Amino acid sequence: MVVSPVHFIAVPLLAAFLMPILAKVNKNLLRIVPGIVLTYLGYVSVVLMNRVATEGTIIEVLAGWSAPWGINLVYTPFTGFLATLMIAMSFLIWLYSFKFKKVDDEPALKYFILQLMLTTGSVGLVLTGDIFNFFVFMEIIALSSYALTAFYRDRNGAEAAFKYLLIGAFASTLFLLAIVLLYSQVGTLNMAEISVRMHDVPTSMKVSILVLFLVGIGIEAEMFPLNGWAPDAYSQAPSPVGVAFAALVVKAGVYGLVRITYTLFGIEGSGIGPFLIIMGGITLVMAEITALKQTSLKRMLAYSSIGQMGFVLIAFGIGTHEAVFGAIFLMFNHAIIKGLLFMSGSYLVYNTPNKEIKYLSGYGMKMPVISLFFSLGALAIVGLPPFAGFWSKLYILLAAADGALYGLIALILVVSIIEIVYYFRVVGRLYFGKPAEGSIMRKPTVGGMIAMSILAIAILVVGFYPDIITGYIDAAASSILNTDEYIKNALGAVNELTPVENIIQ
Amino acid sequence: MENIDFNQILSIAIYGSAVGLILIGLYAVLMKKHLTKIIIGLSIIDAGIHLLFIAIGYISNGTSPIFSEKGISLVSEGTKMVDPVPQALVLTAIVIGFGVTAVALSLVIRLYRHHQTARIDQIKTLKW
Repeated sequence: MVVSPVHFIAVPLLAAFLMPILAKVNKNLLRIVPGIVLTYLGYVSVVLMNRVATEGTIIEVLAGWSAPWGINLVYTPFTGFLATLMIAMSFLIWLYSFKFKKVDDEPALKYFILQLMLTTGSVGLVLTGDIFNFFVFMEIIALSSYALTAFYRDRNGAEAAFKYLLIGAFASTLFLLAIVLLYSQVGTLNMAEISVRMHDVPTSMKVSILVLFLVGIGIEAEMFPLNGWAPDAYSQAPSPVGVAFAALVVKAGVYGLVRITYTLFGIEGSGIGPFLIIMGGITLVMAEITALKQTSLKRMLAYSSIGQMGFVLIAFGIGTHEAVFGAIFLMFNHAIIKGLLFMSGSYLVYNTPNKEIKYLSGYGMKMPVISLFFSLGALAIVGLPPFAGFWSKLYILLAAADGALYGLIALILVVSIIEIVYYFRVVGRLYFGKPAEGSIMRKPTVGGMIAMSILAIAILVVGFYPDIITGYIDAAASSILNTDEYIKNALGAVNELTPVENIIQ
Repeated sequence: MENIDFNQILSIAIYGSAVGLILIGLYAVLMKKHLTKIIIGLSIIDAGIHLLFIAIGYISNGTSPIFSEKGISLVSEGTKMVDPVPQALVLTAIVIGFGVTAVALSLVIRLYRHHQTARIDQIKTLKW
């Protein structure tokens, strides 16, 4: 069977819409089908990652309309790396939530459909080469996230979801307005061709389009001050959804931000780089200081997630090869480490009132394995050697040192200390706190244990042998930095006559 | 008062009403306290942007952008045709807007059942 990037979108979307029927046939199918789909997509990812490493960028033209008229999928080393990461994380989330809502099947059906939609949207957004298609995938992500946030009736999910929806719908409206203005200026929707024609657009227009785009995508990327939705959504949504937010939604948002600034507008000498550094810095400082005073574990993890995205924005703002390398490495690390933290953290606070940290005293003895996983995640995310988080932070610091940005280095180090304080507060309480009497432990499921073990092993392996991943990240960094090659590849498919020209002749 | 260009007046009216709709919607989203009214405001902004998009693709006295079989093209050479892309996109955007509105209204119902009110200033369990 011939694999192609279009399977990433077609297969999960088809499965998601077939699931209500399949669930009628056999109730267990709704839990098994997402796993089969994601395993197949994992196979597709492996094949395509190997092909892209040897043959270069893969272009998939949809419905026979070649670029720039039709929609194309662009599978570069960068987009391929992110797509593979997202598929892998979706698979682990599926393992983790295999027994989700085992008692009543109706909500479970909706949950698995929405998770598949979320995967489709995130991977599709990363792969598409068309700005309007990008917007459609953004809306698929947004709609399934709203619904997943409001999943629990008894929690305050609806309020968090409405807050998210209000910000998200407003932002996507601005994104659409940006597309309208852009189309009126360049007359095309293909991102590669927009990039070619961007030079002719007047500067004032460019700035307004860029601002509208940044507000539109900044929501998903959790950029300050557009991240007000995140803590509520993370804390009110079911715990696997929190993992999905950290591993898929935010990654897709950051990808969008990078694609728009790097490819569409060009990062060099445009002032966008310093702007990203400043926004990332503010995001980082605000988030980490707010995280310090959180009493709820999930809210603390959410703010920490925002802070990490601040790091990523700073690194992309510096814009050298080394910095971009560090940023992509950090995106990878954040997905696996924050995934582990959310998965283990939600077992820790499963029965505590309001998910508060103060009730976690002495859990290190009561839930030894889960506490160990959480501590490993905490050590890794603050960037202690020899765990995975260390390398990404190191590369970002080295890139900042190369650019003689000493203020930035100081900022990153100070913020790291804040990070250490609030993570170790939790870890200290787990192991050295006085155990409270009579709290009921939640026994983790087998799937959950496997998922967490895989993530923990990944953190350790990448920490000790970063070489197994750096090759892919290096190719990804070169790919995003080389706009000319992206344009050449994406438009290179125009070598035969398009349907319209065929008709005219 | 000679040569009043009808097309010019039309285009000013269309662009003006598009901007007007966006501003009305913004006012509703920012100032209204009732959740349903906020959602109506979002829909009005959407409508304004759709109108703007259609207006950009419109050419006065343009023809339909339809190609037919070789040789008997409906569009003879030299005539202007209306840009079909914005119309196709607006169609998609309307569907997306419909989906968002539906989800939003169902959330309002959920919120109303939970809090017995649909006013945004009386729902304050989470920090805004």
